[in-house]
Amino acid sequence: MRAFRAGLSLQAALLWRSPGNLHVLATVPLYTLILLAMTDASHQAGLAPNAIIAPTLMALWTMALFTAGDLIDRDRHDGTLEPTVATPAPLAQVITGRICAVTAASLIAFAEAWVVGLCFGVHLSVHHPLTLVVGILTTSLTTACTAALIATLLVLTRGGRPYQNSLSFPFYLLSGIVVPIEVLPHWVHPISRIIYLSWSADLLRSAFRPEEPRQLPMQLIALGLLAAAGLACASVLMRRVLDRVRILGTLGHA
Amino acid sequence: MNAIEIRGLRRDFPLPNGERGALRTALDGINLTVGEGEVHALLGPNGAGKTTLCKILATVLVPSAGTARILGRDVVTRLATVRPLIGCVFGGDRGLYGRLSARRNLHYWGALYGVPGHELRARAAELLDRFGLTAHADERVETFSRGMKQRLHLARGLMHAPRVLLLDEPTTGMDPVSARDFRTLIGELRREGRSILLTTHDMAEAETVCDRATLIDDGRILHTATPRELGALLSRHERIEATDVPAQLLAQMGTRSGVTSVNTGPDGITLIEVTDQDALTPVLRLLVDAGVTNLATTRPGLEEVYLQLIGDRGMDVAS
Ligand SMILES: Nc1ncnc2c1ncn2[C@@H]1O[C@H](COP(=O)(O)OP(=O)(O)O)[C@@H](O)[C@H]1O
Ligand SMILES: [Mg+2]
Repeated sequence: MRAFRAGLSLQAALLWRSPGNLHVLATVPLYTLILLAMTDASHQAGLAPNAIIAPTLMALWTMALFTAGDLIDRDRHDGTLEPTVATPAPLAQVITGRICAVTAASLIAFAEAWVVGLCFGVHLSVHHPLTLVVGILTTSLTTACTAALIATLLVLTRGGRPYQNSLSFPFYLLSGIVVPIEVLPHWVHPISRIIYLSWSADLLRSAFRPEEPRQLPMQLIALGLLAAAGLACASVLMRRVLDRVRILGTLGHA
Repeated sequence: MNAIEIRGLRRDFPLPNGERGALRTALDGINLTVGEGEVHALLGPNGAGKTTLCKILATVLVPSAGTARILGRDVVTRLATVRPLIGCVFGGDRGLYGRLSARRNLHYWGALYGVPGHELRARAAELLDRFGLTAHADERVETFSRGMKQRLHLARGLMHAPRVLLLDEPTTGMDPVSARDFRTLIGELRREGRSILLTTHDMAEAETVCDRATLIDDGRILHTATPRELGALLSRHERIEATDVPAQLLAQMGTRSGVTSVNTGPDGITLIEVTDQDALTPVLRLLVDAGVTNLATTRPGLEEVYLQLIGDRGMDVAS
């Protein structure tokens, strides 16, 4: 737990000291405005929650992909990975703490989008507050687990970097964050469903609708399974990272 | 119990671009013992295997064969007990969080070594002071000079007051003043009873700070010596450089006992090699008496001493 806390506060300090990492948060109001303008123009007030949820999930995913996903590889590059491995602190715990800090910081996006909505005169009514809270928590958890998977993959595969970029926009589309999945061709649906963001988007939207959120258990199970799968893969890969450092000796140098 | 005990240590690396299975041997069966409270220098040119040895002792690299123990604990099988005992300083620009302050860096690394929260502040402040970094404690490390980073590396390695210190080229990039302070520091750490393994390619540094020095090259140990022997090695073949030496004196010089060679280059500079310190003084006096004022004495570099050692050995084998 000490190592987790140390990682958490290190990453908080790093984010604070290099706001460049938070540039995503600067784009959130913009996306919110664009989406709100679109719902307004199409006279679909019912889509307003989308305009708040979509930029939030986009920010979470972007931060997971580019900031949290980059953690270990950056440490390798800066020569801080080996000294970390040399300490008695378990590397996985340190990294988990750091990823949690990034995920927590990206939740600021939700508050931003909400405030922009208010300024735009959108008063969202939360019909199911508990669903909203549970939705935000499970989404954050699954984001963190997925980020751990990306972070380990990226440091192990030198050729992985080009894929990093291609994982952002296509993911927004596939996961139905911006445009609901129902609009996409049928054959895409199974793909959408293995991306956790699709479950998160549905779950969070349901909190703003008057109907009972009947899908909630299903959505929670899906998110839980995807989180567990991500975490399991990440911990297997974390062992590989340590082996690369200690047995092959190939992760020490840039 | 010994601080460090290394038996038959070997480490091979796969060649980066070599064919499959091709290996480069970085350490080739090293045996080395560092007693508790001893300051031991590991001397060797670039590529000798010093860093590889430090990494194995620091538990971040696994040996291909052989064993290494820190205070009796195996560095491969007893990670959890070994790691808190060691402080490691891998020199250079890397290895610190450049965007954070020196103080923040120390807090973080201290926490990873299990220093309790309430002690972190006091320890960090004390070490920043000890290394003359208090005035810059809250500045970003990326703005630091090479020497300041090097001192911060040392502070980092001492945060958890380890019993065994591994210092890999801790003075590279330090200005001469810091390097002198470093020697004082090693003295203090020795008095505190810490055992130190220190790598360097500076013979004079090894001579002044260590109890014993081991010379390694190409992954093998050439020789283990006391600073006295090291000094003797250095002053063996002490050299004098002089210009405008009268020809008559040159001839006379060549026949003196204790003078191994006299050579005048095309640039008019004469190089006189003598066997030891005792032979040096009379030769210098002769030159001064003859009115030669452009004089300098130089010592052989590490490479030359190596050649000499390898040469001596070669003769041992031959005879
Ligand atoms: N990770 C590595 N992969 C391949 N070769 C390596 C690696 N680390 C060190 N070596 C090789 O091992 C030898 C010893 O290196 P090193 O221990 O860094 O020497 P020193 O620190 O004495 O300069 C060198 O030939 C170096 O190229
Ligand atoms: Mg080295």
